Amino acid sequence: MPSNRENGQTHPHPRREPRYPGPITLARLEEIFRDCVDFVRRTVWVGEDPRRALTLCYLSGMVKMERISDYLLRPMAQDPELARCAGAAPMMERMRQGALYNLAVEERDSLDQVVFDLVGGWCVFLFPGESTVLSCFVGTEEKRSVSAPDSETVLKGAKDAFVESVRTNTSIVRRHLKAPELRIQEQIVGRQSATLVDILYIEGITNPHLVEQVAARLREIDIDGVFSTGAIEEYIVPAARTPFPLVQYTQRSDRFCAGLAQGRVGVLIDGIPLGYLAPAVLGNFLQAPQDKSSSWLLATALTILRYFCMFTTLLLPALYTAMVTFHQEMIPTRLALSIIAAKQNVPFRSAFEVIVLLIAFEILQEAGLRLPQSIGQTVSIIGGLVVGSAAVEAKIVSPAVLIVVAVAGIAGYTMPSQELGGALRIWRFVLVLLSSWAGLFGTVMGAAVLIVHLAGIESFGVPYLTPFAVGTGVHSREHVLLRRPMPRIKDRPGALKPRNRRKQR
Amino acid sequence: MKKTVLVLLLLMLLLTGCRRYAGILPYAREIEDMELIRTLGVDGAEGAGVAITASGDRAQEETQVVSGQAGTISAAVLELQGEGSSYLYFGHVTQLLLGEELARRGVMPSLNYVLRDVEMRLETALYLVRGGTAGQAIEKAAADGSATDRLEALADDAGLTANSMPRTVKDVLAELDRQGASFVPAVLADGGLTAAGYGILKDGALVGWAEGDAALGVNLIFGKVDADVVEVQAPDGAKAALRVVGAAASVGPVWDGDRLTGLKVHCEVDANLAEGSAMPDEATLSALEEELARVEAERMEAALALSRTLDADYLGLRASAAFRTPWRKTALLGSFSMAGLKLEASARAVIQRSYHADG
Repeated sequence: MPSNRENGQTHPHPRREPRYPGPITLARLEEIFRDCVDFVRRTVWVGEDPRRALTLCYLSGMVKMERISDYLLRPMAQDPELARCAGAAPMMERMRQGALYNLAVEERDSLDQVVFDLVGGWCVFLFPGESTVLSCFVGTEEKRSVSAPDSETVLKGAKDAFVESVRTNTSIVRRHLKAPELRIQEQIVGRQSATLVDILYIEGITNPHLVEQVAARLREIDIDGVFSTGAIEEYIVPAARTPFPLVQYTQRSDRFCAGLAQGRVGVLIDGIPLGYLAPAVLGNFLQAPQDKSSSWLLATALTILRYFCMFTTLLLPALYTAMVTFHQEMIPTRLALSIIAAKQNVPFRSAFEVIVLLIAFEILQEAGLRLPQSIGQTVSIIGGLVVGSAAVEAKIVSPAVLIVVAVAGIAGYTMPSQELGGALRIWRFVLVLLSSWAGLFGTVMGAAVLIVHLAGIESFGVPYLTPFAVGTGVHSREHVLLRRPMPRIKDRPGALKPRNRRKQR
Repeated sequence: MKKTVLVLLLLMLLLTGCRRYAGILPYAREIEDMELIRTLGVDGAEGAGVAITASGDRAQEETQVVSGQAGTISAAVLELQGEGSSYLYFGHVTQLLLGEELARRGVMPSLNYVLRDVEMRLETALYLVRGGTAGQAIEKAAADGSATDRLEALADDAGLTANSMPRTVKDVLAELDRQGASFVPAVLADGGLTAAGYGILKDGALVGWAEGDAALGVNLIFGKVDADVVEVQAPDGAKAALRVVGAAASVGPVWDGDRLTGLKVHCEVDANLAEGSAMPDEATLSALEEELARVEAERMEAALALSRTLDADYLGLRASAAFRTPWRKTALLGSFSMAGLKLEASARAVIQRSYHADG
């Protein structure tokens, strides 16, 4: 048996196109779907004439039986004109032109297409002696009903969150964006899952080069299946280079549509109740959906608070370690005296204390996430309060470190994007290690490397630090910290290079 | 490209000047192993040596007054380090006391130590101990609290007493360099570290004291009067208490051709009637204002007389006058001498209101 594995290395296994070559015959279909208990074939007489027999094939469970019966079998049995057709070809043409009540009836000439039709909830009529078949969509519409998003709180705004069905999601988007210029392109991704992935954009607003970039990257994906969000995310952006998110996801349809209207490209994946928006830069991950629903003053204050929290969660443990271990002169005298008093009889070095507590914080967080909600809360309370206060009382950790780590952790929770929060957590460890090694020099070095890193990454050609640092030749006049009153936001973000900059009169 | 930038950044570590320790990185020391020194006293010792006295904070259990003696302050500090179990950390010294004897010998070595030492700060408040040593002052204060607390309270209340104001090492160093003279608040070596006017420094050494009216005059010229109370006699013979709540002085030069012949200091004083009649009539009010202006002018005269007598521009009058007439800056700042100049003081007082409910 040939092996594609030599010396521990596997060789590329290119996708075979077409996957199922050859003519469309019943025998071939039966061979492809052998050992499939849900593959059903049935012979149907047109006009109760056994000489005019067709073969109907479908996958049970994927189709809605009532549709086959009412829209396909009933007219075939009752239409006298069908029974009078001379031969299979005229009969097929008549069925395709309207003898069948079904909305979607297509003529297929490739086996590959027929096989994927069957998997997608279509049924197929095979006509004796004909090389083409009729394929009718009769798929079942079993899906979760549209409900409010559970991961993004909506106070003021639409509550129709995305569901697992991509077609339902596109319909939700259509209801929000009734512009006929809304374009929805579709691709199939995944050899085994054959997942529908839709690209949405508004023609005339979105930069076509951006759409082409997204489409090209999706086309290049050749994987087994799309079973998780990473299967798409990590293939369309250089995610291996950075822990920071480069595409934005949302469960909220209104936020998704606002992104499309901004000139961004949306991606909807069948089976995943999320919408992706690209490109996404750092500022996007610090904007909460409700910012646009709040007063501009409140939204601005909250945005500034979020930026402050970002720096706090990233730098506070490192600064504490650096100041307590290397630069004691930076600490206000009274605070220094308090820290000294609190750290008396604590056996560990400050840096060790901070690192251990940060790890403990991560463990608690992970434990709380993995357990059912009620138990998770109990673990958090026991871990945070009981163990924390016991550790302080037992002089194992100092209260100052506990406060620093807790403040940094809570500040991290203000991040609207969990991916951004996760990336900051990783860098927080790096900075603490550097500060325990070289004090503020280490912290500043780490921060400089982080800025260089962020300045070096792009999301679909848009610099990640836009508008703080933009590419050459791009003049950015956008406000990130200041959410101006809506009537004053006249233009779409220039970094997206939209076809039409102006967004209002 | 990025790798090159990273390597360059790492190499820049070598330029940080931290090689004085074992490696290129700063030296780590745990904060709990430290004893924060809050007040440092420097006195003259036998020969040309110095004796230093250091006091920690009351909050620290091991607070104690430690002292050492050596030829230089650095050596004396090193001697101190060997005494206690904790590392004595001088990064939080907020008060530096200099004994009178040392101050008469010269304050520059002590101030230069603060300037050069990596832990000490130029923002450290500077005091002279009048009629005693810094060591005595710190030890007496420690017996009844701590010198730090007392001196901090003194600095906070300086505006109220109007005869003292905090001065930092940076202020004094800058003035000695700029005008050849400066002044430093003085305290007595008693348990309460009582304010005792100002010591006047000239050419880096103590040359005299400004006390009583002269000290009050210094505060007036510098506008450091928040709530001084002046008792004056009303025309009807009754005593009135005027609370001085603000003062703004200006200095103007007097020229004879191109020759500077004198300096005029004028002070605008704001006061409120704290005690006396509810709100006196216009005539009485004017009389009170004139009386207050006279008192304040006399105080400033006393401060100016010291400047003339000691031939020391410790108030920075020449520099202040140069601000008003910058086109004659060269002539004004070309000399530090005050001996041949006629120094005049005038004041105008305004009583704004009375504290009486009817005022």
